[in-house]
Formats: sequence, C-alpha cells, structure tokens
Amino acid sequence: MPRNFIDEHQIKLTVNDKIYIDAELYTGEKFTMLEPHRLFPVSGLMKYISLIDEEGNEQLIIRNVDNLLPESKEALLSCLNERYMIPKITRLVKRTEKFLIWMWTVETDRGEFTFEIINSYQSIKILYDGRILIKDGNDNRYEIPDLYALDKRSIKLILPDV
Amino acid sequence: MCVVGDLKLDGKYGESAILICADRIIAVNPQLPDEGLMLLFEDIAEAKVKRLYGNAIFRVKKCDGQTVDLLRFTYSATDLCDAVADFITKVKDGSDIDEQLEVVKITYNNLRCFCPKCGRKLASPEADCMNCKGKGKMAEVLFGYIKPHIKMLIVSIILSIITTAMALVPPYITKMMVDDIIPNKNMSMLIAIILALMGVYLAQYGLGALRAYLLRITGDSIIVDLKKDIYAKAQYLPMKFYDKTSTGSIINRINSDTTQLQNFMLRITQEAVVQFFLMIGIIIIMLVMDWRLALFSLIPVPVVALLSRYFGKKLSPMYRRLWRRSSSISTILADTIPSIRVIKSFTNEKKTIDRFSKYVDDWMREDKSAAKTASIFPNAITFFVTCGSLLIWFIGGHYVIEGKTDLTLGILVSFISYASMFYAPVNFFASLSDSYQNALASTEKILDIITAEPEHNFGAGNAPKFLEGKVEFRNVNFSFERSKKILNDINFVIQPGETVGIVGTTGSGKSTIINLLMRFYDDYEGEILIDDINIKDIDIDFFRSRIGYVQQEPLMFRDTIFNNIAYSLPGAHVDQVINAADIANAHTFISRLPDSYDTTLGERGVGLSGGEKQRLSIARAVLKNPNLMIFDEATSAVDSETEKLIQDAIDQVIRGRTTFMIAHRLSTLKKANRILVVDKGRIIENGSHDELMALKGKYYKLINIQSMSEKVAADKEAENFE
Ligand SMILES: Nc1ncnc2c1ncn2[C@@H]1O[C@H](COP(=O)(O)OP(=O)(O)O)[C@@H](O)[C@H]1O
Ligand SMILES: [Mg+2]
Repeated sequence: MPRNFIDEHQIKLTVNDKIYIDAELYTGEKFTMLEPHRLFPVSGLMKYISLIDEEGNEQLIIRNVDNLLPESKEALLSCLNERYMIPKITRLVKRTEKFLIWMWTVETDRGEFTFEIINSYQSIKILYDGRILIKDGNDNRYEIPDLYALDKRSIKLILPDV
Repeated sequence: MCVVGDLKLDGKYGESAILICADRIIAVNPQLPDEGLMLLFEDIAEAKVKRLYGNAIFRVKKCDGQTVDLLRFTYSATDLCDAVADFITKVKDGSDIDEQLEVVKITYNNLRCFCPKCGRKLASPEADCMNCKGKGKMAEVLFGYIKPHIKMLIVSIILSIITTAMALVPPYITKMMVDDIIPNKNMSMLIAIILALMGVYLAQYGLGALRAYLLRITGDSIIVDLKKDIYAKAQYLPMKFYDKTSTGSIINRINSDTTQLQNFMLRITQEAVVQFFLMIGIIIIMLVMDWRLALFSLIPVPVVALLSRYFGKKLSPMYRRLWRRSSSISTILADTIPSIRVIKSFTNEKKTIDRFSKYVDDWMREDKSAAKTASIFPNAITFFVTCGSLLIWFIGGHYVIEGKTDLTLGILVSFISYASMFYAPVNFFASLSDSYQNALASTEKILDIITAEPEHNFGAGNAPKFLEGKVEFRNVNFSFERSKKILNDINFVIQPGETVGIVGTTGSGKSTIINLLMRFYDDYEGEILIDDINIKDIDIDFFRSRIGYVQQEPLMFRDTIFNNIAYSLPGAHVDQVINAADIANAHTFISRLPDSYDTTLGERGVGLSGGEKQRLSIARAVLKNPNLMIFDEATSAVDSETEKLIQDAIDQVIRGRTTFMIAHRLSTLKKANRILVVDKGRIIENGSHDELMALKGKYYKLINIQSMSEKVAADKEAENFE
C-alpha cells in the first residue's frame, strides 16, 4: 500500500478530543478521530507525523509540521503535546543511590518528580546533538535538552552517568 | 478501591484519584468540573486505559456517547489501571465482583513486589531479594573471593614485611659508615658490614622472588574464581536481563573487569599492608633518630591527604564515563563482527569502520581528560613531598654546619634516605585512590551481574513423575515494557495430546505466549498451568527438559553435528542420536556429508543451509523425548520442498505429544485439532479448523487471503516453466 503523504497546504486539521484530531483535505475528503504519531519521536519532533485512525490504520503522513497552515499546525502540536510526555529536566534536585538503583528527584517543565533508574548504563542515552534521554524504571521518559545549560550542581551530579 | 494517579489532567505532575465501588466510579480531581465526578457503571459504555507516550489516560465512554478523562498517570500506574478497566468491564457484564476484585488485587500485589530494603522488583511477593540477601556490601562480596586464599596472602604479606624490614637496614648502615667506620679507618668492621649487607640483599631479593611467585598464582586463582562465577551466574540470568544488556558489555565484564578487580584486590591486601608497615617503620626510625627533623618531614603529609581526596572525587566520574565508553566499544564489536555477512552484503564496511572509529575516538577523548588528571595528580604529590626533603636538607644541613646539636653528618645522610623511602608509601596511598576509582567502576559492573536476580526456581525439586501435557493459560497479561501491552487476558485450555496451531499476524504475540510457557519471562500476571499445576511450582530444569522447542532461527554451536544433536541429552547413545536424526529427516543429508556426524560446524552453524539446520534442531528436540513440542515458525524460512521434509518430520514427532505449532503458512496446520487466533495480544478465536471456517472471522479471512496468494504464486510458477 503506498503511503499517503499529504501536501501540507492541502489539509486542514482541527482538534477533536485532546489527543485526537480531525482532518479535512482540499478534495473534501474528511477523516475524524485520527491519532497523531511521531515517526521519529527522538530524532525528528516536527517531521513525519503519521495520522492513525481508530482501527489502527494509517491514513495520512505529514512530512513537515512547519509547513502546515498556522491553525492546523497549532491543532496538531497541541495534540502531540498532549500525547508525548517527555518532561524536560531543568534541575536535578537530588540523586541518591542504593544498591545500584538511582533515585533522581528532578524539577521539570511539568513540575517536580522523583523516579528511579534501574540501570544507569542502559537507561541514560546521550545523543550526538547533546541531548540526554532518560528512561526510568517504569519506562517513562525524560529529556535533558542541554546538559551544560543546567546549573553547576546538576551538571556535576549528572556527569558521572554520561 | 481507590487508584491514585501521579499526573494532573493537563499532564503536569500532581495527584488525583478515582474511587471504584461495586456499581460506580468516583473521580476526585480539581481539574474536573465540580472537582469530581460520579458515574454509575450502568451509564458507562466503555472504560479503558489509553496509552500515550510516557503517560496514559483512564477514559470512560458514557452511554450517551460522551467521553470523559477521569485520571491521568505515568506508566507506573498503567498496569493497575488496566486491571481496573477490566474490572469495570467485567463487573458491568455481570461477572462476580469478588472474583474480579481478586484479579485486581493480584495485579496490585504484583506491583508491590518490591524488596522493602532496596526497592528492587521481586519475582513474587514472598521471594527473597537476592540483591540484599546475597550482597550486603561490596566489600563482603570481594572478601568472599579473598577468603579461600587467605593463607597464601598472609604468607606473602609476612614475606613482604620481612623484605621491607630488610630494606630499612641499608640507610642505617650508611650512618654507621659515615659517622663511625670510615672516620675511624676500621677495615675489619668494614668487611664484616659489607658481608652482612650482602646477606641482607640476598635474603631481601630471594624472598622477594618467592613472594612475587606466590602472589601471582594467588591472583590467578582469584581471577579464575571471579570469571567462573560471573559466567555461571550469567547462564542463570533471566531473558529479561539479556533483552536489556548488550552481549558486548557482558563479555567485557567477564574478560577485563575481572582483571581490574583482581589487581585492585591484590593491591589492597598486599601492597597496602606492606606500604603501611613501611610507613610506620620509617616514621618510628626517623622519630628515634631526630624527632625535630622527623616532624619537618611530615609537613607535606596533610597536603598530600587533601590533594588525594580532591583528585579522587574528580577521577571517580571520569572512570565511570570511561567504563561506559569502553563498554560501548565492546558492544559494537560484539554486534558487528558476527554480522559481517550483512555488512558485506550492504557494502557497509566503510560506514561500520567509521562508526567504530567514532566510538574509539570518543573513548580516547575521555581517556585523555582522565589521563590529564590522573598524571598530574601523583606528580603533584611527589613534588610536594620532594619539597619536604629540601626542607630537611636545609634545616639538617644548618644544624650540622652550626654543630650546636648532636646531629651528625651520618645521621643526616641516612635520614635523607629514610625520608625518600618514606615518600614511596605516601605516593602509593595517594595513587591508590586512582586505582580504587578504576576498580570501583569495574566492581560495580561485576556486582551488577553477580547480584542480579537469577531465574527463580520456586518449585525446585518438584518434578512430577509424568506430564500428561494439559496446558492452561488463565488471565495472562504481559508486557516487556510498560509502554506497550503485549498479551492481554489470554485464556485457553489445551488437552493432553492435542496439536494446537497458533496463528496471527507478525508481532501479534504468538512467540511471546511460547516464551511465557517456556518460563523465559516470569513477571506476567495470571497463571499458566500444566496438568493443573502452576508452572512456577515445578522445577524449572525438569520442566524445560520436558519441552522440545524448535525456534525459527536454529542456532548451532561450533561443534560436530553429533554433539549438536546430542546437546539436548548428554551421554545419548549413538543409536538414539541417529534415530532422532532419522525422525527429523536429517539422517540422509548428514550421511552424505564427507565427515557425516563428525562434520564440525562453523559459528552459528555456518556450513549448512537453513533447512538443514532446522532439521538438526528438530532432531535435537526429539532426542530428549519431550512431553510437549513447540514449533515456532519452524518452516517459515525454507523452500517448499524442504518445508515438506520438515513437515513430515514434524508429523512424526508430534504423535502423542501436546504440540504447539506457530505457522505462517496455514496449510501446515491441517493436522491441528485446535487453532488459536491471536490478534494484537488477544486470543480472538479458538476452535477447530472447521469451527473457525464456519465462524467466518479472522481465520477465515486469513485462509482466503493465503489460498488466493498461493494460487497466484502457483500460476506464476506454472507460467515460468512454460
Ligand atoms: N524482547 C522483547 N522486548 C520488547 N518487546 C518485544 C520483545 N520481543 C517481542 N517484543 C514485542 O512483542 C510483540 C509480539 O512479539 P512476538 O510474540 O514475537 O510476535 P509474533 O506473533 O510475530 O511471534 C511485538 O510487538 C514485539 O515488538
Ligand atoms: Mg514469532
């Protein structure tokens, strides 16, 4: 089945229900309750968004969010933001270890939270653009956009793990 | 029943809760209108957990078509909320409340299976935490390895102390020479002293050699113990560990980390002790010779201690980082070298080399910065310490020139030699922190394996005489990661001797069902029973030995064909092996090989075709005469002729045994008494071929699609031949 890449200018998107979006094409074709999925949630936040219907079948692919009409873009981004929860860590408050399990208490853009890292060697990943991705013991994800933008103390606490 | 979520509805961290009663659900959440909401079950059309990315929402669809979000939470609470959603659905459909409540409770208890001490997840609520029980402290584990060799170590320590004491003699003799013998021109004393000195040297270096030998063999045995233990431990680790840990890093730990650790243990038990005594001895001698000078020479010591702490703190993170990098290198090696065929076929050699270089360079960069600190540090210390000796020259020289005190030239000269000997242990202790940090990084990794939780054998020793082969799955739920539920409420019963086909699209969870049955993963919810006994209560070795498991990709060892087949039944008689090979339709091709059963296979069975390997693996499974046979897409990677051979083999094997057959080509399931259709982790159809065909559901569709495409393929083939 050929993928349905859609020209960004020929689609209008509106939020349906928080994480669902409705789409209307230039041709008049309509889709409702589509779920946006990032095809590259790590490497390309704004690229290649797949829209999946309630049966789990992909209906459309948007190549580049930035090319969408402003309202559509806003609608899509609000859906994506609801769905993809990757809190950005802004400060490491506490980092303690007990038997090789690390407890991190962090401040994020979504508030303060404490989580545990079972195996720091596999759970903390450094990307080549300098971002640090963290997966906790419950498979939740966190991100440090730029380690060196954090305060000194946080850097010092995190550095041994990366 | 009350469930607390850790997110607010807008996705910020914060608490909210839902209460579930027998007939209603109450949500308490400041962000809901009126700060709360009550829904009767009868008003609810559907309750479910919608998994998002890193979080999930508990959604309810009301009968009037409206949907409301009641609770939002991170993945930590998804399992429980899944259970609650199931609870609501089932109770609404009229299931018994108590029974369903029990299911939720089990899920809850599973979640709470944490060791109260360290927080690690346990296999079951009652299980001992291997981590706390076996470990206690790092030192304790390490001491365990030293203990068996304690006698040797003590002997060599004693030897070292003797040689060290002897090393203290020459400077004293210098003093005698300078102050007494040479000025007094005492020739006979001179000769006596020189002879004595020679004796001392002889003893010192002779014993030194003996000690070096003892130490080396002791070190070897420690390292061998460590390696064996880690390797053995690695064999019993659950699949989960291997899913998450790269082979490279495990190999790294067994090979190089053990060496690091052993070096360190020897340093601690040997040199540290010796250097300590040396230091004490020198301090005493210096104090006796001249206490004022002795105090002066101690001045640099606090500086050294402070520096050592400072650098230690700096080095420790560096070594951890360094370890990470060297582990990535071994990972990439372990990954690429065995896949050289793929690399070549995609002409990706250059890229692979670049990638490797990148990692190696990365390591070098890190090592460079560590090298800076690590080399500045001991030299800085030596510098301070040497400055101390300048101080002694100055003050001591001053005293001697003035001649006011009883300090003689001889004492000063020997004092200086003692002082320079004194710096060796100071230096040693200073650089100890460096090797300590290095060893710590390795130790942590080794302990990671040594203290990891092995597969649990709850039912050790419980081996029923005979397995009939009745298999039952009860409410089985499973996920590898919280982000995706793989198996959803699996229920089925298989009677002894039945042949069961499992069908479904790729990734629907067929192999996972088998993985659970094989006890490769233990942390599922629900129960799996064989002959009405929970498989967790049966001895794991016995249980697995009763199952013949043929995988999609047959893996062979670097060994002869005979040994590869006999692998499943060590000590098997030659007749048995040949018989098994015959049943598996493998004997004919084996006997045609020049070396027949003695053919040595290359790595992973290189030298045989896929179908041939598959038949060997069937022979291997047959040889142990199992009660249960499992074929996981055993024929999907071979041509149709080989498939027929394999199929014939399988038909022979399954007679009288409960058999699970996962197959892509549905035509191979003709012999099955029962078909389970798996879709997205659920069993959607369960029945005989005829029943399912009459149902006209998914199975019916699959059959139609396949017979159509098979027909097309057959037509094409016919065309090509014409
Ligand atoms: N070791 C693993 N870790 C994480 N996910 C896995 C693992 N093995 C399989 N999966 C996932 O589980 C799902 C079911 O896999 P599987 O049971 O192998 O499917 P199949 O029906 O093709 O045999 C797939 O979506 C796969 O991505
Ligand atoms: Mg499979």
